Formats: sequence, C-alpha cells, structure tokens
Amino acid sequence: MEFKVEAHRIMSISLGKIYNSRVQRGGIKLHKNLLVSLVLRSARQVYLSDYYGGICLSAQQAREWCEGEYMTSDQDKLIPGSTESLSESDETSDVAVDKQEPRDVVESPAAQHVETQASGEQDSAENGLSVSGCSDINTPEESPEATPTCEVASVVTAISSNCISAPSPSDPNEATETPTDCQTDNSESAENHSDEPKAPQAYTNRKRTAEDSELTDSPTKRTKVTSTSLPSTNDENKGETEEMDTSNVSSLITIFGSSFSGLLSNKEGEQPDSEAEDSDSGQICCDQMLKNLNPWSTAIVAF
Amino acid sequence: MAGVAGGNDFQWCFSQVKGAIDEDVAEADIISTVEFNNSGEFLATGDKGGRVVIFQHEQECKNRPHLRGEYNVYSTFQSHEPEFDYLKSLEIEEKINKIRWLPQQNSAHFLLSTNDKTIKLWKISERDKRAEGYNLKDEDGRLRDPFRITSLRVPVLMPMDLMVEASPRRVFANAHTYHINSISVNSDHQTYLSADDLRINLWHLEITDRSFNIVDIKPANMEELTEVITAAECQPNQCNVFVYSSSKGTIRLCDMRAAALCDRHTKFFEEPEDPSSRSFFSEIISSISDVKFSHSGRYMMTRDYLSVKVWDLNMENRPVETYQVHEYLRSKLCSLYENDCIFDKFECCWNGSDSAIMTGSYNNFFRMFDRNTRKDITLEASRESSKPRGTLKPRKVSTGGKRKKDEISVDSLDFNKKILHTAWHPKENVIAVAATNNLYIFQDKIN
Repeated sequence: MEFKVEAHRIMSISLGKIYNSRVQRGGIKLHKNLLVSLVLRSARQVYLSDYYGGICLSAQQAREWCEGEYMTSDQDKLIPGSTESLSESDETSDVAVDKQEPRDVVESPAAQHVETQASGEQDSAENGLSVSGCSDINTPEESPEATPTCEVASVVTAISSNCISAPSPSDPNEATETPTDCQTDNSESAENHSDEPKAPQAYTNRKRTAEDSELTDSPTKRTKVTSTSLPSTNDENKGETEEMDTSNVSSLITIFGSSFSGLLSNKEGEQPDSEAEDSDSGQICCDQMLKNLNPWSTAIVAF
Repeated sequence: MAGVAGGNDFQWCFSQVKGAIDEDVAEADIISTVEFNNSGEFLATGDKGGRVVIFQHEQECKNRPHLRGEYNVYSTFQSHEPEFDYLKSLEIEEKINKIRWLPQQNSAHFLLSTNDKTIKLWKISERDKRAEGYNLKDEDGRLRDPFRITSLRVPVLMPMDLMVEASPRRVFANAHTYHINSISVNSDHQTYLSADDLRINLWHLEITDRSFNIVDIKPANMEELTEVITAAECQPNQCNVFVYSSSKGTIRLCDMRAAALCDRHTKFFEEPEDPSSRSFFSEIISSISDVKFSHSGRYMMTRDYLSVKVWDLNMENRPVETYQVHEYLRSKLCSLYENDCIFDKFECCWNGSDSAIMTGSYNNFFRMFDRNTRKDITLEASRESSKPRGTLKPRKVSTGGKRKKDEISVDSLDFNKKILHTAWHPKENVIAVAATNNLYIFQDKIN
C-alpha cells in the first residue's frame, strides 16, 4: 500500500512539473520533460502493480469480461513494452519506495501481474475495470505507437478509466460555477478555478498536431492566466501532495494521456475532455478514491 | 579528505570574489557559464541576463612576487537580449548557455556565446590610440565649416586611455529548433559545432546563413522520443571527431569522415547499469550533464548527477575511473526530484595537465579529484570561508549517524547554493568557481 501512495505522490508531482513547465519562461524544456515523463512511467508501473495486488477484487471479474472485447492487435503491441517496464517496476518498487517493505508484498502482485499480462490482459483489465468501458476511446488513438513512451500515455489513460472519481468529471461544471468566487476562496483553489473557464474552451478549438508540433508553448493569453497561478500551484504541490487522491491524479493523467506529444503541444484538449466525461461512467472500484473535488483537479483540466 | 602532502597536492587559497554581496540575488545576475581562454589570460562569464563579463589577468606585481596577478574586469557587454518567437508564441531566454573562446590569431580576441537559439561571434579588441587632426571635423566631432578650412593636414595617432570594444562580428541564427546546450570550436579553427536537444550542426565561422546538420536524432514520430542530446564536444586534436552525450547516460563518438550525417556512431560508450541501484529516478541521475575531452584528447570525462566518470576513448564498455561526487544524495533523490534539484546540470573540468578534475556540488561545495593519487577534496566557495590569501579548509559531509565536529550533515546542506560552473586555468593552478551570482577565484599557494 505504501508503494502505491509513494508512486501516486510521485505521479502527482511529475504531472505538476509538466504542468508548470508550460508556463515557464523560455518555452518547454524537452530534456526535463522527457525525464519527468520517464519518472511518471516508472511510478505508474509501481502504482499499477501495487494496485492489482492490493485492492480491486472485482479486477478478476472485469478482466474476464473485458478480455474478449478489448483484446486487439493494438493492445498486443503495447504489451511487450509494458512487460519490460513492469519488470523494471518490480525492482523499482523494491528499491525506490521504502526499503522496509517486504519484498514479497511487491513481488507477488507483480508476479500476478506478469501472468495476467502475458495474455495481454493488463490493458484490457485496466480498461475493463471501468465496466462501461470508458478508456477505449483513447486506446485506439494510441495504438499506432508501440513504444514505451506511448505506452506510458495509453496505460496512463487506462488508469484514469479505472479510478476516476465521480467529482472529477464534474470539474468543468464546478469550475464554471466558481469563477466569480475565485477571489474569495482560498488562494490555491482560486487561481486554479480561474484557469478553468478559459481553458476548456481553448482546448476544444484546437486540433491535435502531435507529429508536427515542436516546442509550442502556451499562447500568451493562457500564459497570462496561468502565470498568476504559478506560485500557488507550486505551494499547492507541496501542500496538497499528501491530500491528493487518485481521482485528481487520474484526471491529470487523462489530460496528459495524449502521449508524450502532449508535452509539446497544448493541443490535446479535446481528447481529454471527452475522456473525462466517459470515465465518469466508468468508476466502480476504489471507494477511497471518491473523495471530494480537489481544486487541483480544476487545474488539471486547465492543463 | 585533506590530502596535503606530496607534490601533486594543491593548497588552494582564496584570491578574489566578484559579484554583489546582497542576500537577494537578482535572477539576471546568476552566472550561467565560466570559461578561461586558451592562454588563461582572460576569463569570461555569462549570466542569465545575457551579459558577458571578461576578466583579464593582470601582470604580476613586482612588489609582491608571491602574489599572482589578479583578474580584473576587462570588458562587459550585453551579448543576447530576450526575444520573442511570434510564430510559436515562445519567449527565448537571453541566458548565456555557453561561451567558447577562439584561439587567438591577432591582437583581438574572439569568443562565441550562445543562448537557447542564437550563437554570436564577438570580437573584443583594444583601442589605445586615437586619430587627431582630421580635416573635415574638429576634435569634438563637429563638422568644420568648409570655408574655414584653409590647409590640409595628415591626422596623427595619439595615445588615449585604453578602451576595450566588443562588437558582434557574426550572428548564427535560426538553425536550432530546440534549445542549444553546447558549442565547441573545432581544432581546425575554422568550424565549430552547436548542439541542441535533438540535432547537432556544424558551422563555418565565416558563414552565418548556412550550417550543416551532422547529427539528427529526432524520431519521425515525436511520441517515440526516448533520449535527447545533452552535450557535445569536438575532439581537441582530430578535427573530424566529436562526441555527444545523451540523457540515457551514453556517449557516442562520431567521425565526420564516415558520412555527411553522423547518425551512426563510430564508438558507443555505455556503462552497464547496476540493477541493484534501480529506482524511480535512475534514468534521471544517469543523464549526462557535461562531457569534456582531456587536453591530451585521449580521455573524456562525463558528469552525471552523482558521479564523474573518466573514459578512455579506446574502451567503450566502461569508464576507466569513476568518482562519486555526492553519493550521500542517493537516498534523497525523491526530495531532490520534488525541489527540481535532480535536474541540475553540473559541469566538470580538467586541469591543464589532465592530472586532476573538478566539479561542483551543493552548499557551495566543489570537489576535486586527483587522478594519480586518487585523493579527493571538498572545498567551499563562500565569503565566510574566504579570507584574503587564506587557505581553504577542506569540508566534509557526514553521512553516518555521528556527526564529527566541522562536518556538515546532509540535511543541513543548502540546495539553493549550487556550483554548476567551474573552470580551471589551462596552464596554472588557478580556478574559477561560479556560486550563483558570485565568481570565486582560487589559486594554489606557491610553495
């Protein structure tokens, strides 16, 4: 369980860094964002392996249910990558998180994971956990890429399908209610809420140009909006890492989910919005994830 | 370790410190690069504000022969200004990423300075004479009334106060889509290379509107990107050889005679990863932040987050020497990731004889390793420990439970005080250490 918490925390921090990098002066730094995405992937692997070992009993059932439906050749491509990174995560979870953790705890879920993975169930299971099948919207789009970095993104969106909480899809709603309140709310949530109304509209109008986009950064209007939030998001990172729950992280991941190119372009907006809505229908497990809306999640949608 | 015995050991003394003493450091004043020229007479620094300051080594004082000359400001100029790329809505920082001196060919000095996107060739020249006695204008420059000119005279050169002028002679722009991280002058003294995250270009110093792309690691699909170029350098003796390091901890040596596009390396240097030290952050800490050839050209040194490695160019499978810079940070990687320190790019440098190497750390500490004796020393660049001509006291970080007197514990280290840039005089034992906005110059005590 501690692995999961640690991995979750690292994932939140990583996503926060990626978010902040978009408003940094000088444009997005490719090298740093690449490294952050690698950490994100490692953390995600640990998170998943721990997740399977610990919590969802319904995983078994969902996997069986989904196996037929979600097994596509596309997902097969993703599997080798995920197998590699999973074996990394065995060691990762052993070494990185807490040396006191017994090795067995990690290895058995990981082993279980490896077995199930062999048949390509990993991705299908992740997708399948959301019974009404939410993330498959994303995975077909991800399918052309069979490389680890893309695998990050695709499985990362799969996480979101597992663990999106009820409140998170309502983020847009809540955000639109609160822009006027943002001045009066506590500063952290305020600035994030203020990002909210503008960003979704901006996103939906954009096209995704992943291949061609090089180092595009937020346009000035968004820079203006987010620059005020920058100090607060930094504080927020520190203050809220402990409080942050999976739901918020997974919402963040959803937005980031449009693969590594999501780092380079702001243009993945329309996809995440649809995913967030769909994942609404897909939460079945992990009650502890269903906490109240965290203002961080509004920043997520802005991102 | 305070190994001070034997001929090879140095006794470093404080010489000078340049920069403001204020607690509040303006971001623009943060030094971002330090470089001695080939003779060591000049020391150039670049800062985040786009300025270049050049110091000149004064002649030794005859009155005080035990004191080597000091470095005094020779020239200051604004090299780069902040720019805005309208097409991509990107601000381009004016921070000077690297300065490299050209070999001196006449009385003027030339250096290349680069920010994220543009490289400039600067000429720094002295003017100590002025022509007087013009016919058409008088001494203060006003045009003379032509009717008043009754005779013709030849202007005479008169001495004047020394004036140092810096003028941009070439601007090499629009060749890099990604952020430039390195420039390196070739040994042919005609070309140089510039490297960004995904590409390396070869330039001729005289030609600004064209450059040759010699390495391109950009994948067809950016989503498949797994590594970036972090540093590149030309081999000091062979003008056809250069190396570049990657974020995965590998170094590739390329020979430009092999092909026009050196995507296929000639040599590939990689040390197998130790599986027992795997963590979330293994990939980050293995990313190479600097690569430097030895003066001999036989060895190269790479700096990753926790160590410095010396490689023999003839052996690709592992480095010949590995030095731990601050291994005590390995257990703190998560916190260092949170506060972004894990992304700090430390540089490293050789001494003139290639017998010692130096690199920076946190808390204004810097480390020196003697390759022959295998002794290492940790020193601090701070005003408190810098008494005029005072010998620097070796510092130690306590890693175990018991903290000895004068040791500092890992948790007390100030991670905001980082020494990323250091330089060693090519001929003498004089070092320049950049600590945020201050430049420290230390000299070896003449015994």
